[in-house]
Amino acid sequence: MMDRSHSGRVTALIAIALIALLAPRDSFSADSTPQVVLNTSKAAPRSVESLTERAILRDYKFAWANLDQALESNSTAPLSGLFAGTASAWLNDAVTSQQRNGISSRYLKQIHQLEAVFYAPEGDLIELHDTAEYDLQILDGSKTIHDEHVVVRYVVLMTPGADRWVIRQLQAVPEF
Amino acid sequence: MWSSTNTVCKSRKSPRSLRVGSLVLSASLVCLAAMGYAQDADLRAPSAAVAGTANSIVTTGNGTATFYLIGPSVAFKREVRLGQEISLTAKDLQNAGKYLAIVCTGSCQSVGFFAAPAKPVSLTFLVHPSRAPVGQNDMISGVALPFDEFHNLVIVPETVDFQLTAKDSAAVSRRVTTQDGIAWFHTSSGRAAGPLQVAASLNDIDVSVRRVVQQVASDPCSLHIKGQRTPKGIVVETEPVRDCTGNPVPDGTVVTFTARDGNETDTVDAPIKQGVARAQLAASGPVVISAASGVVMGNELRLGPQ
Repeated sequence: MMDRSHSGRVTALIAIALIALLAPRDSFSADSTPQVVLNTSKAAPRSVESLTERAILRDYKFAWANLDQALESNSTAPLSGLFAGTASAWLNDAVTSQQRNGISSRYLKQIHQLEAVFYAPEGDLIELHDTAEYDLQILDGSKTIHDEHVVVRYVVLMTPGADRWVIRQLQAVPEF
Repeated sequence: MWSSTNTVCKSRKSPRSLRVGSLVLSASLVCLAAMGYAQDADLRAPSAAVAGTANSIVTTGNGTATFYLIGPSVAFKREVRLGQEISLTAKDLQNAGKYLAIVCTGSCQSVGFFAAPAKPVSLTFLVHPSRAPVGQNDMISGVALPFDEFHNLVIVPETVDFQLTAKDSAAVSRRVTTQDGIAWFHTSSGRAAGPLQVAASLNDIDVSVRRVVQQVASDPCSLHIKGQRTPKGIVVETEPVRDCTGNPVPDGTVVTFTARDGNETDTVDAPIKQGVARAQLAASGPVVISAASGVVMGNELRLGPQ
């Protein structure tokens, strides 16, 4: 009986220690979720319906979280279904290229200020301007070779898919 | 357009190391030797880089270093000699966007720059709808996006010519300048059914994309019916059904015939075939027959008892 009780305490202590170890990682994950704000007031010629706005916001946020995951883990799997066409090809090439050279990238503390500037009359294409802010870390193996807080402007084209909006073009520009 | 930063590898030569003893000095010399006598590099980004055009990055210093290029679809490293230009091939820079060049010796230096899209060579042209009823306001729309040969969206303003050509009528042209890489138009559908050719072309460049919108008759404008009794009942049919601009309504459009015989009502849906809808109704007494299609009601036909 004593032995059982002792082993039970040890198990409980291990469990607490594991929780304590995992807690910072969990809080880091929460911090790393991209913050996205979408302004559709200037969208033309068609105004953006509120359901569409919510869907775009959800899918854009998800796409950037997965972009970060793909470029950090050098895996193309997180990219599938969220990017299409040119954006998908570029990001897949970037991951493959990183993988080949032992490089990885992290996009931390992302904040995206999105503005819809064009919404096609038939609702089959939207152009967004994203003023993105994040900490860009580039690593060669485990060595950090670049760590900088950057503000990057992206021209984004999204089209509706079967059940989500997908990013077709994600092109950084010096200014809008 | 470009910026230079001294990044994370902060182990640069410190003036304090000159003041310490010979042991530390020796260690520093060994360190320098290990780095191939490399000095901190300074980088100058390519000016006005264009996608798909070879370019170079100017470096200062001497010795060897590891060079990294991180771009929209590239991430590679290679050994370079400082003090020499680092050449970037057309393939390295074929995607428009932000690039980061990093050179690492003991510390890392970086410079960011943008590659602009090249000249447009193709147009993505979306036209809706594929079938449009005639005489409808702002029924047809088109969106054109110019891309360069590397599929970069050309953001700088370009002039797109839209041309709409319908059978037996003069072509209509519109010239639109792209804004943020997009030119668009919308227009009303014509008065006559038939194919409408919609073309978008880029000025000065032999790029033209064509789409076809099939303009079809709109809803029926009016219905006129006639009928007669036969041994099997009453046969009714419409006169040729047309829309308000005189186009024959497409076959398959449904006309609903209704016969009221006292308190009884008999309804038959009949599709238009070769411009006319026909139906057979069963009624022996006096009957009032009407027809409807969409929102249009036809004349009433009164027939006496059999």
